[in-house]
Amino acid sequence: MSKTDTNTHNKGHHLPPKNVPFNEITKDLIATTVTGSKKIKQISILLSILSIIGIIALIVKYFADHDDSTKWGYVAALISFLLSVGGGAPMVGIAPVLAKANWVRPVTRISAIFSLTGVSTLILIIPLMMMLPPLMVDGVRRRSIWFEGPIYSPHVWDYVALMGLVLTGLALFYSAALPDFAAMREHSSGWRKNLGKTLSRGWIGTDSQWRTLRMRIGMFGTFYFLILIFVNFLFATDFAMSMVPGWRDAIFPMYHAITSLQGGVAIVVASLWIIRKYFKLEKYIHVDQFWSLSRLLFALTLLWIYFFYSAFIVFWYGRSANDIAWIELLITGPMMWVFLTGAFFIWIAPWWWLIWNKVRRSVNGPIIGAILILIGLFLDRLRLFVTAWSVPTESIHEKYLKIIPELVLPNYLDILIIIGGISLAFLPVLLISRVIPVLSIWEVQQFNLLAKPIKYMKTHGVLVAKPD
Amino acid sequence: MQQRRDLNQVHTNKVLLNGQLNVPKWWAPTVALLGIMVLIGFTAIGIMVNKGLGVTGLSRPVYWGLFITTFVFWVGISHAGIMISAILRLTQAEWRRPVTRAAELLTVFSLLTALFFPLMHAGRPWRIIYYIIPYDFSRGIYPNIRSPLIWDPVAISTYLTGSTLFLYVALIPDLGNLRDRTTGWKNALYTILALGWRGNPRQWQMQTIGGILLSALMLPIFVSVHSIVSWDFAIIPSVEGWHSTIFAPYFVIGAVHSGVSAVVTMMALMRWLWKWDDFIRPEHFDALARLLIVVATAWLGFTFLELIFAVYGLDAPELALREMQIFHWPWNLLFIIFLFTGYIIPVGMWLFKSVRSNIALMFWSSILVNIGMWLERYLIIVPGLARKQPFVFTWEAYRPSGLEWLILVWSFAWVTFLMLLFSRFFPLVPLFEQKESQVFTDDVKIGRAKVPAIIREID
Repeated sequence: MSKTDTNTHNKGHHLPPKNVPFNEITKDLIATTVTGSKKIKQISILLSILSIIGIIALIVKYFADHDDSTKWGYVAALISFLLSVGGGAPMVGIAPVLAKANWVRPVTRISAIFSLTGVSTLILIIPLMMMLPPLMVDGVRRRSIWFEGPIYSPHVWDYVALMGLVLTGLALFYSAALPDFAAMREHSSGWRKNLGKTLSRGWIGTDSQWRTLRMRIGMFGTFYFLILIFVNFLFATDFAMSMVPGWRDAIFPMYHAITSLQGGVAIVVASLWIIRKYFKLEKYIHVDQFWSLSRLLFALTLLWIYFFYSAFIVFWYGRSANDIAWIELLITGPMMWVFLTGAFFIWIAPWWWLIWNKVRRSVNGPIIGAILILIGLFLDRLRLFVTAWSVPTESIHEKYLKIIPELVLPNYLDILIIIGGISLAFLPVLLISRVIPVLSIWEVQQFNLLAKPIKYMKTHGVLVAKPD
Repeated sequence: MQQRRDLNQVHTNKVLLNGQLNVPKWWAPTVALLGIMVLIGFTAIGIMVNKGLGVTGLSRPVYWGLFITTFVFWVGISHAGIMISAILRLTQAEWRRPVTRAAELLTVFSLLTALFFPLMHAGRPWRIIYYIIPYDFSRGIYPNIRSPLIWDPVAISTYLTGSTLFLYVALIPDLGNLRDRTTGWKNALYTILALGWRGNPRQWQMQTIGGILLSALMLPIFVSVHSIVSWDFAIIPSVEGWHSTIFAPYFVIGAVHSGVSAVVTMMALMRWLWKWDDFIRPEHFDALARLLIVVATAWLGFTFLELIFAVYGLDAPELALREMQIFHWPWNLLFIIFLFTGYIIPVGMWLFKSVRSNIALMFWSSILVNIGMWLERYLIIVPGLARKQPFVFTWEAYRPSGLEWLILVWSFAWVTFLMLLFSRFFPLVPLFEQKESQVFTDDVKIGRAKVPAIIREID
């Protein structure tokens, strides 16, 4: 447990978070937009250089390997990873809000910010789209969820859906940020003040504006969730399942979605830990946030094994040629060690780590679980997408996969693309912290308003108001 | 908890113990009527055991029919208890409190009922013993422990044991309460069952920890039970429509949909019959309906995935089966009824707050859900077997016999009968939960608004 944790007293018992005056909240959080500017500038320059190298490597790869789709597995895995982590993170701020959980309020901004990573996904996916075979291969229509649709349906509609996800995420982020832009207008100076003035769009906090704000958050949140599931369904099917003959796996899109949520929660935990430490926000980010998030993380880790096993048992027990091919390709085949290591990181290690309440109810415990899961998720995506793309297009019409392809190793371009792609995704997240507070001012104020520390019998408690 | 009322403990005891201390007038005739129905049902089962499965409509190739459908249905209903009691307890949903006991009870009795069906389906139930005691190793005739047909009874009996324990642990404080208000043999019974409950801090601590531990332990069992039931079907590649990887979560989410709807039905009945208007309030129905909208929509999503990936493979037999299931008489009619009663009508209704707070409408919509969910299981199990395939030499459409329908009706009468018997001796709404709710809830003033609030303990 962190010694700087303000809601922990000497004996190690937790005390309820102290209420902080509204003005102090505004002042502290607006100050985060200027804290450590020099260091952030240096990191941003480094990320920008890596992003440019990554994009150049992607262009070079397109010209070098545009006639061989089997070499594009690592790019597909990277995009799936970014889509999962960046797409899943905003859900952390949506689902608990809809369930009226008060603890989530200080987390909503940082989770919504990750919708900005979608911009990089939209750029990186373009060459991969070009590598995706059309629905008609060698004059014969291949298996797909588009059935008799136009032959470029996956290319067009997957991109449209992804764009819809990114736009909805940005709309959610912007709608929820309006009161804070107004706070920037009132309390900051220079270009930030001007930007706040422009982006706050006349927000003065009338009853009607607040009502509209809540309605927008609810609407965009629900819509975001639906699109996220749909995008996961499309991406998992078009970019993995339909590339492998005979892979018919109804749970796979949900598996992709669940792991996306797992990655999303993990990245939020990691970011929360960093901003708490870096911006010294111990007053606003309490053990309760880590505790609740790590419970979510633990539940999602259990769902990973449940969804994986639900598919595995059916294939393992079925024993048809199709079933055996699935197991040989994705489990025991060329990437067996990646699968085993991935399973260790995404399931076994975080499971045994997060099962302990003492670990969950601390600041430093959940971050370890989160990092393990992020590594595991990346390995899991490699296992799924590299193997799926390694199947040559010539065998796409077969009833089942008769020859398991050899292991495809990454070349230097793949490595540069992975590093550059991750940098490109996180660059806007870093830059936005200069524009708007990483914790939502109004949500933190509301958190304080609705939760009052009380002395309860012989112990401490919190009186949490639950408005409709 | 907008409709929270300040109720003192004496009033709570008086009203919630009215089933045990003052028996309502309707109770005896209702139990007698149900008892007659139960007897008729047992007679039908007796006839079937005596004459064999020939009295049913089961025949080649449809060997799994109404009995297995009803088995899956009751296992599904049993998911109510853990969903309401364990999951909502762990997530600290305050509105769960009056509902927990009834949900746990439904779990126990529906599991007990579910167990009858595979036994009956076996035709000669006594032969089930060979699954447990292998009689001849040397001839290799022993049960295959890798078969889901072995996992099924193991999972269900574990779930039944756990659920009964869960129900009992939560019942102990109320048993202590009843012990102190009864005399004679009843007092002796409650004294034994209350296990020396005095309500001291240590006992409360143990009871709370026991409840939380059991909740956490029951969750994996809860998920595994219906998953295993689904694998009875899913691991078989030879029957079209069954070999699907999504079956486990699809069955579990469907079970929650059906189980929570059954709890709504029960709550409405409890409110009407025992006049517990102060305890089972429209806000509870509203909260359950919101939960059901989410669960039902997730279930519909799984249904969509199941269907789309069935046709995705473009295998001719699978396509033929789906065509039959959705477009051919009489399956098409059943499919439409299933879709409308399982989702479209009830969820369409629950979108309106006025419906969610209307107990009569909630009652009827929850019944619709369970009609739909029963049909869903029927449409999963029977058409896959009924579709004509090459090399099948006998071919008859499956029509459940009157006896099968009678046994289906018996199962509902049996569960209701058991519930009413239970209500005669034990409270259906947990008294201590109700009182705890009074302590843990409050109203706070924020600005000009009075907002309901909940006390959360820290450490």
